Amino acid sequence: MTLPARRRTPRADRIFVALMLAPSLLILAAFYLYPILSNVWFSLTDLSLLKLRRGGSYIGLANYAEALGGADFWRVVWNTAFWLTAVSVVVRLLLGMALALLLHSQALLRLRLRTLMRLALLVPWATPPIVAVAVWRWLLNPQAGGVNRALLWLGVIDQPVAFLASTATVWPAIVLILLWNTLPVVTLTLLAALQSVPQELGEAAALDGAGGVRIFRHVTLPHIMPTIAILSMLMVFWTFNNFAYVWLATGAGPGRYTDVLATEVYLRGFVDFNLGSSAAIGVIMAITMGTFGLIYVRVLGRRVTS
Amino acid sequence: MHLVRALRATLVALALACGITAHATELTFRFNDPDVTQIRAALDVFEQQNPGIHVKLEQMGWGDAMSQFLREAAVGTGPDVLHVAFVWPKDMGAAGALLPLDKYMAASGGSGDYIAMDLATGRDGHVYAVPWTVDCWTMVYRTDLLQQAGITTFPKTWEELRAASLKIHQVTGKTGFGFPAGSAASNGIWFLVNYYWWNHGKPLVVNKPGGGFSAGLDQTDIAGAIRYFDDYFKQGDTPRSMLSVSNWGDPAIIEAMASGQQAIGIMPPANFKQIAAAWRARNPNGGDPPLTTAEVPTELATSVVNVGGRSLAINANTKDPDAAWKLVQFLESKPIFTDYYTSQLPARKSVLSTLKFPPGMQGYAQQLATARSWGPYADGPIPINTMWNATGRAFGSAFIGELSVDQASEQLLSVITKGLQ
Repeated sequence: MTLPARRRTPRADRIFVALMLAPSLLILAAFYLYPILSNVWFSLTDLSLLKLRRGGSYIGLANYAEALGGADFWRVVWNTAFWLTAVSVVVRLLLGMALALLLHSQALLRLRLRTLMRLALLVPWATPPIVAVAVWRWLLNPQAGGVNRALLWLGVIDQPVAFLASTATVWPAIVLILLWNTLPVVTLTLLAALQSVPQELGEAAALDGAGGVRIFRHVTLPHIMPTIAILSMLMVFWTFNNFAYVWLATGAGPGRYTDVLATEVYLRGFVDFNLGSSAAIGVIMAITMGTFGLIYVRVLGRRVTS
Repeated sequence: MHLVRALRATLVALALACGITAHATELTFRFNDPDVTQIRAALDVFEQQNPGIHVKLEQMGWGDAMSQFLREAAVGTGPDVLHVAFVWPKDMGAAGALLPLDKYMAASGGSGDYIAMDLATGRDGHVYAVPWTVDCWTMVYRTDLLQQAGITTFPKTWEELRAASLKIHQVTGKTGFGFPAGSAASNGIWFLVNYYWWNHGKPLVVNKPGGGFSAGLDQTDIAGAIRYFDDYFKQGDTPRSMLSVSNWGDPAIIEAMASGQQAIGIMPPANFKQIAAAWRARNPNGGDPPLTTAEVPTELATSVVNVGGRSLAINANTKDPDAAWKLVQFLESKPIFTDYYTSQLPARKSVLSTLKFPPGMQGYAQQLATARSWGPYADGPIPINTMWNATGRAFGSAFIGELSVDQASEQLLSVITKGLQ
């Protein structure tokens, strides 16, 4: 004999669900919501690092007006959006795809180099950004750097180039450092996606007379598109908010030529001691990325549905 | 029976251990220079002399030390004793982060024996730090390269320095005057341009006659300084790579001076010693290095630079201020400078006067005698960090052509005048 199941009312269900979710919601509120709201509040005050004990006074939207009205602000936004984010994400995707295809190819397998190449690829990824930047600063050094020596030896240049001090080379140099350190994660993610494409599809397309390029375009790419889309979004988030590469490589210089939003947050907060203004830039960054994420996901969602 | 005895013995041992722990004092000393091994050796001696006090040594780079400590102090943590730049105590004292040391200073003979005591005193009149080490920048040059270029006496004015640098480059092919021109927040050009302005009789910040502060120079003066230093890059006697060098002790400068690739530099004594040591390592039987010092060029009767240095301060949150003060007193004693922290000069006049400047370093002795304090820069309403950063950015932007000289000078003057209002 089985006992009849006790039926809970919808209200009791809701209470049960709320109770089960409460611990997670509390943790989210304590570690995400509270800091976000605090930061928004700080951005509306004149809080200074020198007056932390006293706190700041409410000044309305003055920090936002000052930031958005500044002559340099839009140049800083351009540096962040174009050089740091767009260029580096696109280059990493293209190179990451090329490397992933190489690692996935039968040629490396035949040469018994596949495992070695995959291991070698992990080395830059395992290097902490501070070490990567320190090594590259030394390699790009005009006096003793390996890059200058190699280019001089090859006859590409006749004078050493100060890569991190010249407006023509400083951004490409930063993108190069970023690329070296973070390309492996892009390559390995795309490689994993490539490995999930059923081999029979490619073989069937080949039987129908499709060449390598057409197979890639019409069979492989549509299969790995969701991975590329999510990877692109994550890379945009990681890079747009990144502080370490620019700060360690150039300190936002020469002049303010490589100043980005993240370095601006640091400069305002910990050099000028103006935490309110720094928080306002942080909120602007969060709103920008939130809006980008929302639009991206909606557009992506529509495409997946269609 | 045995069990009871063992339990008793354990209880007695625990009680003793607790007693010992309760009486032991644990201090943390945060030190920001590279001489960590030497300072640890000195602290071991302190621990032997004071058996109840254990000192943990922490190291932190100068770049983040101030903001890091302010954040810690605001929430009741941080090291007990800390190493601070001369110009920090006023702001840190106003933030409530440092312990006023008036009673300790009074009990130990007052503050008359210290150089730059004005910088250790807060805006409220309390003493917040004890000057520990003192230094100043001066010109350092390779005698062999100047000789090769036919320069017999070191330049006395800024224009003579300009001409000498160019001549050295033209005759020897080496760098003439190599200076850190990078724009990082704690850049070296800040010191150099202030010396240029001071030695033209035009400080960036001055006291107003009726009280308050104002800019002591105008846009033309700033533009003049930018053009003067930019000319070194334009004529090529200073390599453009110096635009990525912000630190005066950068290997690019130390190495170039030690190897004879650069003739003239400007730096504090610790870096002079580094170059001399690097030269000796390359020339073990070469005698004294072809390196000496001279006063910074001036258009005035006496050459002026700032009295630089470091102080020791005590965290307002320390649990044992007496022990912390004991450590401060130990660290400023003479043996520290003769046996351990030999790269620095003491800020106590009585100790400094007993030390001899090694050969080649006489320029530091002369320069220290006429050096000035940051004075109104430190007393005024703009944090020195802000002016320092803004100056480096303005000069850097003009050097690379991101801004015109006029735009850069206008931008810097605007930061200063707005801040002083």
